[in-house]
Amino acid sequence: MDALVNKRIKQVLKGDKDAFAEIVDLYQHRLFQVCFRMLGNRHEAEDIAQEAFVRAFINIHTFDQKRKFSTWLYRIATNLCIDRIRKKKPDYYLDAEVKGTEGLDMYSQIAAEDELPEEELMKLELQDRIQYEISRLPDKYRSAIVLKYMEELSLQEISEILELPLGTVKTRIHRGREALRKQLSRQPNFL
Amino acid sequence: MNACPERIVHYMHEYLDGEISREHELELKSHLQSCVDCQAHMHELSDVVAFVKGAAHVEAPTNFSNAVMARLPKEKSHAGVSR
Repeated sequence: MDALVNKRIKQVLKGDKDAFAEIVDLYQHRLFQVCFRMLGNRHEAEDIAQEAFVRAFINIHTFDQKRKFSTWLYRIATNLCIDRIRKKKPDYYLDAEVKGTEGLDMYSQIAAEDELPEEELMKLELQDRIQYEISRLPDKYRSAIVLKYMEELSLQEISEILELPLGTVKTRIHRGREALRKQLSRQPNFL
Repeated sequence: MNACPERIVHYMHEYLDGEISREHELELKSHLQSCVDCQAHMHELSDVVAFVKGAAHVEAPTNFSNAVMARLPKEKSHAGVSR
């Protein structure tokens, strides 16, 4: 696959924009999935995953073809997701109206990320429950856990994507697992 | 509280990462046989892994590729091309 991708990249570099469509087709699901798991929202995931491809296109001349393209692409996407998550963190303007949401202010958005009462939690379908628990992880741990267990990448690859030493990646995964253990053990009969 | 060596939890994670040495694995196993608290901890961690691995694969929306192509800049910048 890498050979095919590098061929398409060369075509894009020569100005053949359409060759990029095939690259998008190859990676769209993986990239969308990682954005969805990081952001917990399909619309945002779609926007950020598209943006990641656009950035990849614009910066394609900086990609080193001796490296793995997916690693580079994942790096662009996870960085965009983390930026988005940080921007959403409401340090200021808590009561400012959120654009295009008619009366929804930042308070209502935080409320959505707050811990659900136990009875509400019990009503969640398994898939919603998984996403809910993932979204409550601090973003540092979330990206490592998502890349490892949902994208099924090796620790080495995760370290290249996140540009962190292998030891740091391991620590984040360990802490992520411990954090999830605590989150889940708060509900009786879940773990 | 119990006085289990801190390294035991560390070994649990090494085990889950599939990166545990024979030596650490033996120590972990023999400790788990004698300590119900650590046994429970190990079980919970394994359940956490099973839980997150239970996440369904999600796919990009159907017109995703077209949407990306429509969003690409119209003219490719000539920065790298001119010469």
